[in-house]
Amino acid sequence: MRKPEFVYVTYIETTPEKLWEALTSSEFSRRYWFNTDVKSDWKVGSPFALVMNGTTTDVGEILEADPPRRLSYTFQQVLSEAASKERPSKVVFNLERHGKFVKLTLTHEGFAEGSKHLDGISKGWPAILSSLKSMLESGTALAIPPSALGIEGFDGL
Amino acid sequence: MSKPEFVYVIYIASTPEKVFAALTDAKMSEQYWAGNRVVSDWKIGAAFALKLKREETDVTGKVLEYDPPRRLAYSFHPQHDGMDAEPPSRVTFELEQQKDQVRLTIVHDGFEPGSKAFESISRGWPFVLSSLKSYLEAGRVLHAPWYDTESARQGAA
Repeated sequence: MRKPEFVYVTYIETTPEKLWEALTSSEFSRRYWFNTDVKSDWKVGSPFALVMNGTTTDVGEILEADPPRRLSYTFQQVLSEAASKERPSKVVFNLERHGKFVKLTLTHEGFAEGSKHLDGISKGWPAILSSLKSMLESGTALAIPPSALGIEGFDGL
Repeated sequence: MSKPEFVYVIYIASTPEKVFAALTDAKMSEQYWAGNRVVSDWKIGAAFALKLKREETDVTGKVLEYDPPRRLAYSFHPQHDGMDAEPPSRVTFELEQQKDQVRLTIVHDGFEPGSKAFESISRGWPFVLSSLKSYLEAGRVLHAPWYDTESARQGAA
């Protein structure tokens, strides 16, 4: 049986340094990540949080920070009581330079059997990473309506 | 054991008509698909070919669905590297307009367990679709350095 995990690969015409900054700076994340601020000092062991329009949606802890190659944090949804009872999952970003572009591999893993989150994050990440690619390549992020993702209970905040 | 299936979602700031045209036009595909060309008259049951720039043989197939600008499906049978011994697989594209962008979903299924073609297309599609997005949004395509060496084939779907 396959482990419940989500893997997404995208290629972005940028440098690993710029992509790293986009993944770790609130100023950038707000533009491509549904108005979400990524908050952390990005030191191993430090807290991590996603804050959407002022409301904390997810929290975690930095597991790896090796700029501009690898970033990893634990990921716990805290928006609802049911969600915050699930054990934290793990997000890993791998950045590899290939000539003029970067291969970004996102792995979101460590879900409990029958996790309710896997479906939601599987719909969310393609939108976020598509928007990130647009922002870095053309300067304009995508304005994807959160309700269009089809995630139960997620219409934006 | 579950059968291998590749699913990928990407959001492109474009119209369904433009995305559909890019998926079905030989000259456009040559631009974003690293010199490979999709060739068909797109009638249901008609022959489909992906003319590979770096191989002696084409990927062959038949048009299964053609419903512009919403749905496109064809069977997919690579003839190189021994993959002709495997049964043909199936590629389905679904296009949905969402505000100012298109959600493009590709499902590539119909593989047998352990399929070599499945390994190949799983590496290939994220690159091809990333390049398609860049092509439609920014008028640029991604140039894979691994195509510059004859032996490296890891980007070819």
